[in-house]
Amino acid sequence: MTPELALGGLQRWLQAVVESPGSVGRALASREAARLVSPGKTHEVVLPSARQSAAERVGVYQGMYLPRMYEALEADYPGLAHFLGGAAWERLVRGYVTDHPSRSYTLDELGRRLPEFVRRARVRRPAFCHDLARLERAVSEVFDSPETRPLAPPDFASVVTRDWERARLVPVAALRLVELDHDAGEYLDSLRGDAHAHPPVRRRRTLLVVSRRNYGVLRREQTPAAFALLRDLVGGLTVGRAVARALARRGPARLAGADAAFRLFRDWAAMGLFRAVAGERPGRVAGRQVARGTNPQEAGLTRKRV
Amino acid sequence: MNRFGLPDLGIGIGLRTVHFGEILAGKPALDWFEVLSENFLDTGGRPLHVLDRVVERFPVALHGVSLSIGSTDALDRAYLQKLKALAKRTRARWVSDHLCWTGVLGRNTHDLLPLPYDRATLRHVTRRVKQVQDVLERPLVLENPSTYLAYARSTMTEWEFLTALCDATGCALLLDVNNVYVSSFNHGFDPRQYIDGIPADRVVQVHLAGHTHHGTHILDTHDGPAISEVWKLFARLCARTGPVSTLYEWDASIPKLAAVVREAAKARPFLTAVAATGTDDA
Repeated sequence: MTPELALGGLQRWLQAVVESPGSVGRALASREAARLVSPGKTHEVVLPSARQSAAERVGVYQGMYLPRMYEALEADYPGLAHFLGGAAWERLVRGYVTDHPSRSYTLDELGRRLPEFVRRARVRRPAFCHDLARLERAVSEVFDSPETRPLAPPDFASVVTRDWERARLVPVAALRLVELDHDAGEYLDSLRGDAHAHPPVRRRRTLLVVSRRNYGVLRREQTPAAFALLRDLVGGLTVGRAVARALARRGPARLAGADAAFRLFRDWAAMGLFRAVAGERPGRVAGRQVARGTNPQEAGLTRKRV
Repeated sequence: MNRFGLPDLGIGIGLRTVHFGEILAGKPALDWFEVLSENFLDTGGRPLHVLDRVVERFPVALHGVSLSIGSTDALDRAYLQKLKALAKRTRARWVSDHLCWTGVLGRNTHDLLPLPYDRATLRHVTRRVKQVQDVLERPLVLENPSTYLAYARSTMTEWEFLTALCDATGCALLLDVNNVYVSSFNHGFDPRQYIDGIPADRVVQVHLAGHTHHGTHILDTHDGPAISEVWKLFARLCARTGPVSTLYEWDASIPKLAAVVREAAKARPFLTAVAATGTDDA
């Protein structure tokens, strides 16, 4: 309640005001801020200028906080922001940054929890919004993942046939497998250009590989059989075990046969999804380089753009 | 010439995503680029690829917004280590950030929040600048921020504070002339007094930019050309510093590269003139 604050108290007060939504008057009176400085004593902490009161000067900073958050999150979730529209988007962001304020030196980390948040938020079509946000997050992560040189077809060819069954394919860092209940990719595609002829939101199980080629992010839909096999491979199963599981599945996730597996491997190699062929245990390499990590999440996750 | 022996890089602009293609495809008439550190600390994709190509062709300096040198939170050591690694990768001529704080309690408002200028704050910031310089193994370059409020407890002007901080830590200055102008309007001081009051031999870089006048206050928006008063202050500064690395910032409503280059090039006659005539301080 005293304006005689040490530097730490002063900073906690100003931050509390800046982060509070609504008018600056309401922000100054917020519980955390008022605990440190009574709203009526603002002028004892901040000097008025010739043209502004102390509260108005604090309000300059407070008024810029949320627009900065709207802008930062819209940069990472343009599809979600567009789908919800101005007021609903801003309401979502206000709630989100209240629960999950930035704790990183980069704004690119700010939206990491938005997909989970939107699933429980009071927005229209929350399940679709969740899918859309998950896809946009995957795109961001792939965009910023470390560049790892993918295996070329000759690298695959160098693996002796008898080694394949026990080999493990090590994914590139810029790879995410995204399983959706809606065709969120179709919605993102519809944002391109000026037409904005958005497709109706519809439930459709959509299995996507999000990867990168020449620094551009690509989305490619997979069949259930292909997706299940790829998920096993990325998860670290040997080629032999993954293919055996794929052939043993029932329903649409069942792989048609060994030829189908061959075609898939050829497609994935062309897409540059793998960076090494490793032995059954990490470190035993049949391919070009030692590979110890098989987790596709090993990439750094943040990004920032101007 | 600055006391650090840091080079005069000439005229540059901030490296911005919207210009990546034009920069890689052409030969912009620029001497150097300033790189926003946080944009490249955690990316391994196209931004880093482009940065590597830029570094092959131009000198760069790193400019950060999240060091939070004035915060009462502990310094982020992981951030500093990443910053140091990026400086090494890019052969950055120097590393700068702002005299401000960005958050406490582990949070980041991503704003350059003002500090009170008094002895207690000076001691606090001095201690932290020394810690940062120990990690980076080079002088830290600090920029004067645009500020929109002033604290009742301040006992020093900003330029007095910066001078004392430089003396106590050996740090260098990035003098943002537009920020001097913006703050002078917001706080009612004579910007010429600020320019005349800073230790000129500590200035290794200058920023120029546009701002937005709201009648009651001015915001540092970096969204257009600098006004004539800012250019006059720049001339006044150059008369004290001599030729100095000069950078034009354009961060909102960013036009084509050529337009930003044209605006930056307006600094050249001032720098050429002072190179010919020498400094007032000499």
